[in-house]
Amino acid sequence: MTDRITRKQFAGMISGAAARIREQHATLSALDSACGDGDHGAAMLRTVERLEKAMGDEAGDLRTVLRDAGWQVMGGDGGASSSLIGSFFMGMADTPPECDALDCRGLSATFEAGLKAMCKQTKAQPGDKTMMDALMPAVTALCAAAGAGKSPVEAFQAAAEAARAGAESTKDLTARFGRAKFLGEKTRGHQDPGATSIALMFEGFSKALAESNGESGNG
Amino acid sequence: MKKFINRPENIVPELLEGFALSHPDKVRLAGNNLVARAVPKAKGKVGVVTLGGSGHEPGLSGFVGEGMLDVSVPGEIFAAPGAPRCLEAIRLADYGAGVLFIVLNHAGDVLASNITMEMAAREGLKVKMILTHEDISSGSDPEDRRGLVGFLPVYKVAGAAAEQGSSLDQCQAIAERMERNMRTLAVAVQTATHPSTGQPIFDLGDDEMEVGMGQHGEAGTGRMKLKTADETAELMLQMLLDDLQVKAGEELLVIVNGAGATTLMEMFILFRRVHHILKAKGIKLVRSKVGEFITTQEQGGFQLMIARMDPELTRLWDAPSDAPYFVVR
Repeated sequence: MTDRITRKQFAGMISGAAARIREQHATLSALDSACGDGDHGAAMLRTVERLEKAMGDEAGDLRTVLRDAGWQVMGGDGGASSSLIGSFFMGMADTPPECDALDCRGLSATFEAGLKAMCKQTKAQPGDKTMMDALMPAVTALCAAAGAGKSPVEAFQAAAEAARAGAESTKDLTARFGRAKFLGEKTRGHQDPGATSIALMFEGFSKALAESNGESGNG
Repeated sequence: MKKFINRPENIVPELLEGFALSHPDKVRLAGNNLVARAVPKAKGKVGVVTLGGSGHEPGLSGFVGEGMLDVSVPGEIFAAPGAPRCLEAIRLADYGAGVLFIVLNHAGDVLASNITMEMAAREGLKVKMILTHEDISSGSDPEDRRGLVGFLPVYKVAGAAAEQGSSLDQCQAIAERMERNMRTLAVAVQTATHPSTGQPIFDLGDDEMEVGMGQHGEAGTGRMKLKTADETAELMLQMLLDDLQVKAGEELLVIVNGAGATTLMEMFILFRRVHHILKAKGIKLVRSKVGEFITTQEQGGFQLMIARMDPELTRLWDAPSDAPYFVVR
């Protein structure tokens, strides 16, 4: 198991996330129609397709590529989710140069910087029934795994599990942000589509990374 | 769903193309599907820009034109556009005296606008943002209140001030004064379908109405048995008058905005009752508008807006305008 991933693997993780959203976009829209207007799947599809395209530039400076990817996501006009996910990717570029190595510490610092940038744009916290319920535990798990000296594959496995648990926890919550907040108690019992998207993306990251690592191990 | 559309993903570009083609003397599409004036404003005047999801026609791009907006940034159906196109719009509307950026308080619009403001500051663009939030059903905290049809008087007075050569600070001050003095309440009787997904946005019984329904069919708080026009007007107007604390002798602008399926016939019946009540209370109804300014597809219902006017606000409201959906000569 390698400690450092390549740019190609990093781009592959984004493609993995895009693949999961592509598979599940109808489910995401169905979840959204419970408390929103039923277009979340379509908006997420635009988001991941723009991400995948921008990250496909494996030769460019990583910071520039990430910043451009975030801006491209925002340009997808997918409402609040594209502004938030866009600010996450633009924020990933705000790491110090020593984090450039795509080892576990560098990757976790990059994701932490993304989360920090997103937190500047929204006051939503875990418990508010938003994508933050999946993202915050995922990044926390990623950082904890990096701190414990785990490999990127193990760290993203932990992050994906934390994101899934976080997304599932939103079923019991009452929405306090976005349009759904106006529904209040009526939102209880429905899983948040934004948190579900984040969980799917982390699942995609983890799966793609594990598979690419297997390939390089065999090769 | 029965709608005359082609492919769902083409709804927004096709509607914008048709809108621009139907008013070629007034508006044009610029850059990345921005709606801009056919003839740009003179150099040295403040530009006025707004953003918002599509599917609410004629809002918001129908108010681009002389005397009102310079550029509007239409989003996808019911979804805010992102910061990149907003930034492009601000650059386009910058005639050297700065840009007033009018934002309706909805989560996605505010997120995109805040990011736009950061990017504009980095580029050294002079931009002031104003948030409209006048829906009294969504809590007493102004931050929670949504922006509904009140955008119309804000565009109008800010646009008129900009056209007359007021500075950015003056345009912002006049927009803020208008904004602070207006209140809106919406009621729905029938759901709209999302034109891309074909799904109804909410369920409402045949004999029910919901007071406080948001612009995108977000559920309100007061679901009740359907009332008559007079009862509905009385209920909603009283809530608005109480919230704005209107006193006898004060001057009001009243707007009745149809949600899409409610007819002008019904709106006139409602407006007539509003007029009677205000007269009985000694409140002066100085200006009024009845029609469709922001809709939500075939949603049934309407928004009732009241705004406290003063001589300057009324003068700016009366100033000439040549936007496709707001002509004042």
